[in-house]
Amino acid sequence: MTNPFWRIVMAIALGAVPGAISRYLIVEMTTAMIAKDFSLYATFFINTSGCFIIGLFYTLSEKKFPRLSPEFTLTIATGFCGAYTTFSTYGLETFLQIDRGNDTVALLYWLGSMVVGTIALQLGVIFGNFNSQG
Amino acid sequence: MGIFAIASGAIPGAVSRYYLTRYCKRVLGNGFPYGTFIINLTGCLMTGFLFTLFREIPSFPPEIELLLRIGFLGSYTTFSTYAYDTLTLWRNHKRVATLAYWLLSPILGVLAIVIGRYFAKLILS
Repeated sequence: MTNPFWRIVMAIALGAVPGAISRYLIVEMTTAMIAKDFSLYATFFINTSGCFIIGLFYTLSEKKFPRLSPEFTLTIATGFCGAYTTFSTYGLETFLQIDRGNDTVALLYWLGSMVVGTIALQLGVIFGNFNSQG
Repeated sequence: MGIFAIASGAIPGAVSRYYLTRYCKRVLGNGFPYGTFIINLTGCLMTGFLFTLFREIPSFPPEIELLLRIGFLGSYTTFSTYAYDTLTLWRNHKRVATLAYWLLSPILGVLAIVIGRYFAKLILS
């Protein structure tokens, strides 16, 4: 793998494939176990947990493991976190709730994802900083 | 079958996100996360379009929806980088840009879904 393009593609793919598949399986499991309308709770969990992971990863790679290879960052951050979390389904599910007349659910989901996502990211950063001390 | 369809979409989705982000940084600069912003909005536009098309045309194979909407567009767009970009803007003391990016991405994202849906209905009618 000397060609930089294929190195980048391989590194991203290694994270993107498990990321997208776990997103799919979490949604499938949630809708199978609870109800079909519950997919937005699965997406909420995916997006907020993905925010926590990326906050933790970037903080650790900056403070604790500064010599990590750039390919590893591509696999975890660009590949895994990027493909695991999704903005398109978040937008679509908000729209579908508005379309069904569930305005309160739409607003809670829309705003809740933004707020809890930001908090989860901050928690990941704090957790990463805590683990980088000493 | 479904897993393969998702994986086949996820790889080009994530790779095109990476290259588009890099391209936007080179052309438009580092001051604002234009790349992720454009990616999330175009991804929402295409999702609104495809979702409507798939619902209105029942003969569409479900694997195509897994490949394009769940695999490609799901990986192309990202929520984690959106949140991380917001934090980076905040750390760089760009308060107005932070608020604009944080609020406008979800507002215009839902709007892009509506526009994509409108285009699909236009084609189908």
